[in-house]
This record gives sequence, structure tokens and C-alpha cells, in this order.
Amino acid sequence: MTKYEDVAVHGYEEFCKVVSERKGKDIFAYFSGDKDDQGKSWCPDCVKAEPVVRGELSHLPEGSVFIYCQVGDRPYWKDPNNDFKKNLKLTGVPTLLRYGTPQKLVEEECFKADLVRMLFTED
Amino acid sequence: PRHLLRNVILIPAGKFDYDLVVIGGGSGGLACSKEAAQLGQRVAVLDYVEPSLKGTKWGLGGTCVNVGCIPKKLMHQAALLGTAVKDARKYGWQIPESLSTMAEAVQNHVKSLNWGHRVQLQDKKVKYLNMKGSLVDTHTIRAVNGKGKEVLTAKNIVLATGGRPKYPTHVPGAMEFGITNVALECAGFLTGIGLDTTVMVRSIALRGFDQQMSGLVTDYMEAYGTKFSWKCTPKSIEKLPSGLLRVTWMDLNTKEEHQDTFNSVLWAVGRASETKTLNLEKVGVEINKETGKIIVATDEATSVPNIFAIGDIAEGRPELTPTAIKAGKLLARRLVGHSTELMNYDNVATTVFTPLEYGCVGLSEEEAERRHGKDQIEVYHAFYKPLEFTVAERDATQCYIKVVCLREGDQRVLGMHFTGPNAGEVTQGFSLGFQCGLTYEHLRNTVGIHPTCAEELIKLNITKRSGLDATVTGC
Repeated sequence: MTKYEDVAVHGYEEFCKVVSERKGKDIFAYFSGDKDDQGKSWCPDCVKAEPVVRGELSHLPEGSVFIYCQVGDRPYWKDPNNDFKKNLKLTGVPTLLRYGTPQKLVEEECFKADLVRMLFTED
Repeated sequence: PRHLLRNVILIPAGKFDYDLVVIGGGSGGLACSKEAAQLGQRVAVLDYVEPSLKGTKWGLGGTCVNVGCIPKKLMHQAALLGTAVKDARKYGWQIPESLSTMAEAVQNHVKSLNWGHRVQLQDKKVKYLNMKGSLVDTHTIRAVNGKGKEVLTAKNIVLATGGRPKYPTHVPGAMEFGITNVALECAGFLTGIGLDTTVMVRSIALRGFDQQMSGLVTDYMEAYGTKFSWKCTPKSIEKLPSGLLRVTWMDLNTKEEHQDTFNSVLWAVGRASETKTLNLEKVGVEINKETGKIIVATDEATSVPNIFAIGDIAEGRPELTPTAIKAGKLLARRLVGHSTELMNYDNVATTVFTPLEYGCVGLSEEEAERRHGKDQIEVYHAFYKPLEFTVAERDATQCYIKVVCLREGDQRVLGMHFTGPNAGEVTQGFSLGFQCGLTYEHLRNTVGIHPTCAEELIKLNITKRSGLDATVTGC
């Protein structure tokens, strides 16, 4: 029995739609570069961090939401004015954050299981 | 006999839970614990915020991050920007009036700092406990919070619990209806964001600072709209049916009583150290009975050899973040045996972030006179006008610099004082020179950067002794 909701989205619009449909919920989001047909992302750090993050999902609070968001291809991400950078103030991928709070882990911070667990479990 | 052994806790050598436990997760405590962990020690930090009378709590990081330097400077900046917007119109900008969301923006930044510290502690393998610590004996700490308690043993202990604002408990209504913070800076930015603010001062402003400079700071504030009730002391606060607060006070000169109503009353009557609940007396850590602060030696050691105290809680130390941080780091290095370097508390520069900022390093003019005699010192000074004030038609009457020197030889600088924009930025650079033994000769031999306010320090040439007009003229 899963105690959290696991949702996958692609692109900024879909991300916003999914968030707006879950008002009042504790939302955690993981942002990654797009995966190709073989399931491999153009972002090597995202490839490294994903198993670490997935490994800690069991520590998510009861009733929370985990959104796995593919941001786009490499040229889209490199554009300094893309929606994620402009509106969500993301500075790098991968980023793992608690939506609506300053709590986040960026890039190499996502490689550390204890930091991921801390983000999921502490207030 | 059994009764003699009852209170002895036998710990085999090398069997402490931690090499170092720090009680207090503020500027000093965090710096010390992170440095020690980085040097390989097993470290734990306890941080706990006792709620204020109104129930306010905050996160990891101490006074500076949550209710001190950081929010202060941001709110000061908010007020400065308000003034800048007014100036901007004189420079030709068309800017409409608009409301601010300052409080929320400041809170968000503070929360991001709480999180940043949390990540750093975790990353450096420092154990963090959101629990209130107290001493059981010289190597044992009890930690408590709403959820439970723990006991930790440590080879060394650092006390860094800082201070909290004092309430004037003798004034009826003070605790129920007042809130607390640092007087002039707060009055300054509150006025700057448009609130009708009065500062009530019992005797003098900025005690401990050069009083001529203090006068310039408060004169500027008065000229810019902050009201001052000098030599007055509050007698009582009552809440009226309207919700407003009625304050009764006495004018100490005329001995007359006055009354007025206000929305809020802010107490800024000093801070007291957080030592009462640490159980210091039982363990033998000595405090100064008058101040409540812990007595420390030059290596931050208390009367108990393995217990140390840093930051606001230590007697005789400046109540500043940078000194607490540096003292914490040096202490960690000494505890690990990496260094014998002691913290140097001399020549610490500081800045008061009032609407007209005041930066200084070294002695006040009064203190220099006291130590050397008026005849043995030379004071160079100047009233200057920041270039930016000209187009903005701003009054620069209180923009002033003075450098207090020894009269003889190269004229070593004993103290530097600057009121003006960006005083902190200006003072930091000169404080480095001061640390290196700055003399008036050095200043004279340095070329200024033009056009700046800082260059006026280089150009000082009028002495107080000459009695000449010290207003800077021309380019």
C-alpha cells in the first residue's frame, strides 16, 4: 500500500496543472532532463541521482505527492528564460524540492541519500 | 559507603558519545561545530528556541539569521529603497506608488537560510538535535523537547546559547502588550517604510559608541521623520477598548507625566544571556552575577576546563556575529590540536544600520581622550556631501567623517568613524588598514577613488584643534 501519490509529468504546463489539482497537499518534485527512447536522460547527474531519490521514496510523509517532472531537451534547458528557470527559479537539474518552501536539493546534493531522506522526513 | 558513589558517573576514558557537544545553533555554535566535524571530530549540536511571550518561534541559525542581522539588514534595505524611489523621481524616473510584500519576502529568505544550515550540518556529519540542552555534570548533557529526552556525554562542551531581549518587568503592561528588538535600526526602517514612529530614550542613544557620531545618527533620523522623546521613561501600558495601547511616561527633566496612544510598543531595552536553564551553578561554571554572562579566559574556557563559551553569552565579548564565528572556528581548531591561535577581539569594525549608516573601528574620541589625554591626540574631520545626494536634493548635514590619531610621529590611527551611505562597505576596507597599523601618514599617501564617499577619508586634513570649518568644498 503506497502512502504517497506518484505522478509523472512532462514540461512546465503539465507540471503546473498537476500541482493546481492538488492544492493543500505536501508536494515533492524531482526535475530531470528528458529521457530518450532507451530511458536515458541527456543529463548525467540526473541519471546518477534518480536511483538515490527513488530509493528514499518510502520515507515520504503519508498523503504526500511525488511529482517526477521531465523538463525538456538540453537546448530548452540551456535557455536562461525557460519557464522552469523563470517561474520556479530552478538553477540546475536534477533538483529535488518541497513545493512552496525554500527546502530543496540541487545537483550533487541529490546524490546523497541522507540529504534526500532529510528533505522527505524533516519539517 | 554507597551514598558517596551515588552521584558519580563513571565513564571509561575515550568512551564519550561525542568528542564535542555544542549547546546553541547560532553564529558561534554552528561555526564551531562544522569546523570541528570537518577536522574529524564526532560532534552534536543542540538548538532550541524557547517561544517568546507572544509564542513566536524560529528555526536553526540563531539570532543573526532569524531575528537579528539578516532580517534587520533586509528591512533596512527595504526602507532605503523607499528613499531611493523618492530620489529616483528627481533623476527622472516615473515610478508609481505601490505596496510592498516585504515581510513575506524576508521570512522566505530566513527560511532558506534555516534550510541551508540544516543541509550543511547534515552534510558535514554533525548530529543535530532540536532539543533544549542543560548540563548534568562536566561531561554530560541532558536534551529535552516536547517529544522526549536524551542524555549525551562529551569530551568537550561549548556553550553558545546567546541572548534574548529583556522586557522591563517593572513597567505594568510591558510584557502583555510589548514586543522586542534593537532600537534605532528598527525605528529607522519602520519610519522608512512609512510608519509614524517615536523612540523613547531614558538617557543616551548608542551607549558605548562615540557620542558625537551617535548625535549625528539621531539628528538625521529626526530630520527624516522619526520622533524622539529624550530623557523620558515609560510608566505603564494599558490596552484600550479600541485595541490601541495607551502609554504613560514621565519626562525626567520636567518630572511631568504624559500620555499618548499607539498601535504597537516595541521594547529595545537590552538583551540578557540565556544561562538560567543551563544548570551552570551545579556544574561549577561561573557567571558574572550582574550581567548573567559566563566568565571566560582568552581561550574561551570557563571555570570548568573542558567547558567553553562563545558568542553573546560570554562576558566581555562583542555581541557580533563575525567575532562569534571566528572564535568558534579557532576554538574548534584548538580543541582538535590543530592550532594554538587565540581569537583577537581587538580592532573589530562594526556598523549601525540606521537610515544614515554609521561605521566605525577602534576607539571613540572620548575613549581615546581618556586613555591618552586630549593633548596627545589629533582628530581629523570633515563634513562631506555624497554626490548622489545632490541631484536628489537630499540633506547631507550629518554626513561626517572623523579619524582619531596619536598626535606624535606618523600619527597612528586610534579610531575611525564614518556616517554616510554604505558605511559598512566603506568601513570594512579601512578596518583592514587599521588592523595593519594605519597611520595618518598612510592616509595622506593614499590616492582616492573618485567620485566616492570613501575617498573623503583619504582627503582628511582639517583638525578639530584648528577650529577651522571642516566642510569639504569643491572637487
